[in-house]
Amino acid sequence: MEKIFRLSLANIRKHKLEAAALVLLVALCMLLLGSTLGTMAATRTIFPQILEHTQGMENFILIQEKNYDPEFKHIIEEDERIEEVQTAEMLYSMSSNYLDREGKEQALYLAFITEFNNNRIQKTELDTTLSEAELAAIEHPITMPYTMHDTMGYRAGDPFDVIIGTRKYSFTIAGFYDTLILDQVSSGVKMIVSDEDYHLLSAVMPNYVCIGYNDHRGQGGETLFFDLLEKMEDYSNLDVKNGIRGMVYEDLEIGVTFMLQMVMKLLIAMAVIIILAVAIMIRFRITGDIRDQIVHIGVLEALGYTSGEITLSYVIEYLLIALAGVILGTAGSFLLIPALFHVFEMISEHRGTAVISVLPVLLGGLAILAFVALIAFIRARMVRNYPPVRAFRKGQGDHRFGKEHFPLRNTKHNVHLRMALKGFVENWRQNLGLTVCILISSTAVIFSFIIFSFFTGNMNAIAASAGVEMSDLCITLMPSADAYAFSEELTALPEVRKATPTANENLMVTAADYNEPMFPISFKDFSVTENIFPASGRFPEHDNEIMVTNMFARHFHLKNGDTLTLEHLKVQKKYIITGFVTSSTNGGINLYITEEGLQRLIPTYRPDGVEVYLEDGADPAEFRYTLTQKYGRSLSDTAGSAAEGVSCEERIRAEAEQQIAEMMANYGVTHAEYAIRYGDKVISGDSSGFQIVSIQNLNDILQTQLAGMSSAIEMLSTLFAVLAAVVITVILFILMEATIRRQRKEFGIMKGMGYTSRELMVQLAMRIMPAALIAVILGTVIGVAATGLLTSYIGRIGVNMPLVILADILILAYCFGCAYLGARKIKKISVHELMTE
Amino acid sequence: MSSSVLHTEKLCKTFSSGGLQQHVIKNLDLEIRKGDFTIIMGASGSGKSTLLYALSGMDKPTLGKVFFGDEDISGYTNDQLAVFRRKHCGFVFQSIYLLENMSVFDNVMTGALAVQKNSPELVKKAETLLKKVGMGEDSWKKYPNQLSGGECQRVGIVRAVINDPQILFADEPTGSLNSASSRDVLDIFTELHSKGQSIVMVTHDTRTALRGNRVIFLSDGAVVGEHEMPPYGTDDARARRDGLQAFLDQMGW
Ligand SMILES: Nc1ncnc2c1ncn2[C@@H]1O[C@H](COP(=O)(O)OP(=O)(O)O)[C@@H](O)[C@H]1O
Ligand SMILES: [Mg+2]
Repeated sequence: MEKIFRLSLANIRKHKLEAAALVLLVALCMLLLGSTLGTMAATRTIFPQILEHTQGMENFILIQEKNYDPEFKHIIEEDERIEEVQTAEMLYSMSSNYLDREGKEQALYLAFITEFNNNRIQKTELDTTLSEAELAAIEHPITMPYTMHDTMGYRAGDPFDVIIGTRKYSFTIAGFYDTLILDQVSSGVKMIVSDEDYHLLSAVMPNYVCIGYNDHRGQGGETLFFDLLEKMEDYSNLDVKNGIRGMVYEDLEIGVTFMLQMVMKLLIAMAVIIILAVAIMIRFRITGDIRDQIVHIGVLEALGYTSGEITLSYVIEYLLIALAGVILGTAGSFLLIPALFHVFEMISEHRGTAVISVLPVLLGGLAILAFVALIAFIRARMVRNYPPVRAFRKGQGDHRFGKEHFPLRNTKHNVHLRMALKGFVENWRQNLGLTVCILISSTAVIFSFIIFSFFTGNMNAIAASAGVEMSDLCITLMPSADAYAFSEELTALPEVRKATPTANENLMVTAADYNEPMFPISFKDFSVTENIFPASGRFPEHDNEIMVTNMFARHFHLKNGDTLTLEHLKVQKKYIITGFVTSSTNGGINLYITEEGLQRLIPTYRPDGVEVYLEDGADPAEFRYTLTQKYGRSLSDTAGSAAEGVSCEERIRAEAEQQIAEMMANYGVTHAEYAIRYGDKVISGDSSGFQIVSIQNLNDILQTQLAGMSSAIEMLSTLFAVLAAVVITVILFILMEATIRRQRKEFGIMKGMGYTSRELMVQLAMRIMPAALIAVILGTVIGVAATGLLTSYIGRIGVNMPLVILADILILAYCFGCAYLGARKIKKISVHELMTE
Repeated sequence: MSSSVLHTEKLCKTFSSGGLQQHVIKNLDLEIRKGDFTIIMGASGSGKSTLLYALSGMDKPTLGKVFFGDEDISGYTNDQLAVFRRKHCGFVFQSIYLLENMSVFDNVMTGALAVQKNSPELVKKAETLLKKVGMGEDSWKKYPNQLSGGECQRVGIVRAVINDPQILFADEPTGSLNSASSRDVLDIFTELHSKGQSIVMVTHDTRTALRGNRVIFLSDGAVVGEHEMPPYGTDDARARRDGLQAFLDQMGW
């Protein structure tokens, strides 16, 4: 045994560099695998920890206050699937902004709640670094979900400014708390404010009622949720679904854990890629080694070593290498685990308990060792094929039969290319391994490249596949406003290129046959849209025509020409499907319907939104501000301003506007004018300044929503690319060294015949190019296909083919460069040395 | 007789191994004439191969110069030397050095394609040359390990001359062959010489040396004697042998 051990060690010493490269790769693999497995248990504490902190409701329905009836609570309580129900008032806006540290406006869905109301639906544990006295001194305190601290970097005592409409509301951060809903920057954050501030904000933000209920940890699921909606609608005959937001237990858990699990899967996938590359390299190395030392092996066999013992020496050699890597990697893992867990916490936007699980890490290490041993054993068994005499004759005697590949007499263009092809075909087994390696690497690179460019690229890519209209500003009008007149008014402005009346996004109807909610996207004429295209079929034109999304069609096996029954407040109408749209938003439940079509179902329907497209160069943020000033006044803006007016005239005007605002808000007044004589002046005005409820800047919103995700994805794809590059580099260098060692004599002869080192290096590098080419093409196909798997989670990902092809070319160039540099040892082969040996 | 293709000026080659310096070639001035079949003889270890490699651009001299025509090749980089070799030189080695992973025909083509573009004429030429040295069509797709030593060397010669080199270098080309094969191979060299091919051949075999028309004797890295003969087959064989023998005796062979 000791002798065998010595053989292994001698071999490692002989190829120090290659051994070191393998140790490095195994260590990398172990690092990824170990740190991921080591944090797995800790990540499982994240969601339960939120439940423990909040100890409250686990499913939530946000209903616009005007559609809410106190009786709803009892209706829900009566359902036998329900354990407990609580309600709380809340403000919620999808068109709110905040000022970032540079003072720039950023979109952020904001909800506000008082502590009293928050306590109704969950436990509120304030986590702050401020003292009682300091807290008491804060004039406008705001308490935020942990994510604002952990991912956005805010601290207790920091100022925080919120922009609603045109007004700025300044707060000071009192502390942070854990919440199950409205807990993430991407989906909106629920802020706890004082009763006074809540009251002030309630005048300028949509008022909601939050119904929270428990259904035995999510057992009721979506079914229960929709059943409850039906029941409420049946009872009240109100359009309860209008503007509703539902968050059931299951979705909340997925919301917290989905990205996290994706990232963990990706990390483990990377570890697997690396270990596969290691396996392939071990195979190269053993094959090369046995050929190299065939005479030596013959001598050993003649001395009485069995082929089993020699095989074992190889297995031990690679086990030692792998062991070194695993030990390094494990040590690294334990160092990395706390940091990685913190990253996971940031990705989930929540906190967990950092428990390190040792056992999975050790099992992972053992699995790597076992895998390496197996691979080495399978390959090294080829020693059996060389009994001593055959070994002495360098394995010769196996005559070549069969086809000769790429005979040089047929050389057309470049002899180097042809010789490279010859070499490629003759070493196909080796090249198969190489192909797999590059294939995996390029799949990883292309996949992450596509994702990367999708998330960091411009929004046009997203817009093209969103299946919704992506104008610059999306305006929700007061019920009193006339969308057509307003659009015309806007179009007259120099900044505006186009303004199109539409349905704002609060409306919800039901596909009666499937009991599925659908969000109508409605235009008078779809030809005016810029981001909605039928993937097949055509736009709806008549009032009985609709389009649905591809996802919806697939799910319910709908074809062009099929009919779909839509329901709204018990009214049912049949529609014919004329086309399908690729949509990545709203989980594919968008419904494309003309204005007349929607009016057939909802006779009172009038467009209540306007899509505004700006001229190139116009600043959406600035224009949004102008619009709000001009048309977006509301009670909040007027409240108290009468007292602030400087001149008497201003005070009169402010008083008048406050009266109008109050009338509109409280009595449903749609239009009002006033004229007041003041001295010899007449001060007049009307309600035209009160037309806009909210303005969304879609680009901003998308950017905020994707910001957290894209930084994680950016990090991951960079990691992927770097790892792939390392794998490709190491494998090509090892392959080239092995090839040169094996064919040293051939290269010497060729040099003697007058081939230059450079030519031979190119030739050798070209040999791997067919494998690389095949691998990269397959890798691209697989990488592109893999992005399709993400469709249901983050929507269809637009693939920028020219960029992908450019990336392919870069990968190929990189492979060539590595192989060329890896072949540089050809320079060291001296003809002369060979001739005199 | 005719102009020189190659000459050296104070050529030196020194090897150092283990701190010890060994001067293998010492200040050698030598001229190789066009059309000659030059034989380099000498005891084993006298530096014959070393000289041949220095002359042919396989190796760089330590000091001194090697001129090919007017071209000083002694300062060339390795890659420049490679280009020089493929343009102007052909090589036949004792251990033959065919490419094991290529067929007979491809071994020849590898040599040819290093210099010229492929053409039907080139393929034709390779075929003609192979047939001429007795390698019939049935052997073309064979691999070196399926051939005898003599056959391999014939392929080696074809590979060396396919590009019409200005000089053909051979280092003991028959050293590893039996006498019948040796004779066949030497006949090929004689035939090439009679067509005007310049040849420089290293040997320590008297019978092989008879094929040349100029014999240079090397001892301890210096030329110590020279012997001229008429081209092989144009004089009396016995007298030729005696003449060479007398020269070699004088050199202490
Ligand atoms: N690459 C080398 N390194 C060290 N010594 C060498 C080398 N090549 C040749 N020699 C030495 O040079 C001397 C001449 O060698 P060589 O030219 O091969 O002789 P010959 O061909 O006449 O038998 C020998 O003593 C040999 O050991
Ligand atoms: Mg020699």
